[in-house]
Amino acid sequence: MKTRSIEVVVSPPNPHYVGDGFRVHNFIPSGYHLDMQRMTPFIMMDYNSPFYFPPTDKPRGVGVHPHRGFETVTIAYKGKVAHHDSAGNSGVIGEGEVQWMTAASGILHKEFHETEFSKAGGDFQMVQLWVNLPAKDKMSKPKYQGITKDQIKKYQLADNAGVVEVIVGQYKDVTGAASTFTPVNLLNARLNKGGKAIFSFPKNYNTGLLVIEGSIKVNDTEAVEANNFVLFENDGEDFTVEATENAIVLVLSGEPINEPIAAHGPFVMNTRNEILQAMEDYNTGKFGYLEE
Amino acid sequence: MLQNFKQYFQKNVQITDEQFALLSKDLKSEKIAKHTVLLKPGDVCKHSFFVDKGLLRSYTINETTGKEHIIQFGSENWIVSDRSSAYFNEPSDFFIDAIEDSTIVYIDKEFTDKAAEISPLFRQYNEKALHNHIRHLQKRINLLLSASAEQRYMDFIRLYPDIMLRVPQWMVASYLGITPESLSRVRKELANRHFKPL
Repeated sequence: MKTRSIEVVVSPPNPHYVGDGFRVHNFIPSGYHLDMQRMTPFIMMDYNSPFYFPPTDKPRGVGVHPHRGFETVTIAYKGKVAHHDSAGNSGVIGEGEVQWMTAASGILHKEFHETEFSKAGGDFQMVQLWVNLPAKDKMSKPKYQGITKDQIKKYQLADNAGVVEVIVGQYKDVTGAASTFTPVNLLNARLNKGGKAIFSFPKNYNTGLLVIEGSIKVNDTEAVEANNFVLFENDGEDFTVEATENAIVLVLSGEPINEPIAAHGPFVMNTRNEILQAMEDYNTGKFGYLEE
Repeated sequence: MLQNFKQYFQKNVQITDEQFALLSKDLKSEKIAKHTVLLKPGDVCKHSFFVDKGLLRSYTINETTGKEHIIQFGSENWIVSDRSSAYFNEPSDFFIDAIEDSTIVYIDKEFTDKAAEISPLFRQYNEKALHNHIRHLQKRINLLLSASAEQRYMDFIRLYPDIMLRVPQWMVASYLGITPESLSRVRKELANRHFKPL
């Protein structure tokens, strides 16, 4: 197997607020080299780097808003988030947990810091990804998968190197619990200092990693600090990650969805007309209703 | 920069790239931050604001209640102005400000005079734009006087398909002349009628 080389290391862009509860660096699609077609099926990635939110009685977050045409994935590292949607699903995720919402044909949802977390205040760190759906599944039924800690399968690395948690997809012989529409791998590698893991994905899969905590060395050469994103070339299968101090690394790799992308705000479809239709359907109540 | 403005202008008055370059030589455009105030009551409106990117609104604030009443939203390719203040050179009653970070083209009399010289179609276009504006205002007065909240809302989403996605609901309610609670009710009733779970 050939080594997959690094295309670029992207440092976190200036943060902005999504609602009042998420202070995020947008890597995909506005980061250098990280547009939607380059990164497909990952069409958006916001990263809330560690940030302290002071106590409040009024939970911070994002009010009711729609989505159509893709899936939203929230991975919590610090803090707790509550989710409600117009399909009647709700859930709270905390440290080490993931929510996977398939917006597909259309959903309204809201995301707020969980009430007790808001009252106490605390450190907050999350990743939100949008995973695109192929045209044939864009208008399928919305669904929600809350992936709790005990559902996340783990692969124990040899020599006390650490552990690789499989959110979806596969690592070695471990398969993740959540289901996807196209092949997607999302892994959290929790490595001890000096621990090393090797990752292997088909060459054509668009692949990157985000250093959540600590610092690492990629392919034995490139040192990467926390909060930086590494984009890999599509020139090989294998790469290695070695922790130069205790580290958490989010690895993402997915089969490209080679279709046209028409994106406008919270809708990602294939054509401009489908976007206009999404706006009309949202405006006229076809996404349902959700109380603010 | 100003791609929307150029396209809009060329489509409407059919001028060449060279003519556009000549015309836009002294044209002022600017990136403005969200909340930037472009006009306030008492000032004479010297410009029409063409929105190349972003979103503006014109509105009044009731001095007694402090309530905001939105007259108009203007997103990409819209022109927001107080035409009567500009034409009659009299103090405006309105605020105009940016709801999003925006790129604005400042259109003034000098520009329109020059445009009329360069393109014989400009006066025709400008007259049509003025009458289109009057048509909208008349329709809006009639809706405010006679239509139900739902009819006003349905007209609003036809005119502004993406504004519900870009502004808080209270602003839309303010434009429609209804309370935010009424707007929620209208949207809830529409959802009850139109939402068909798969």
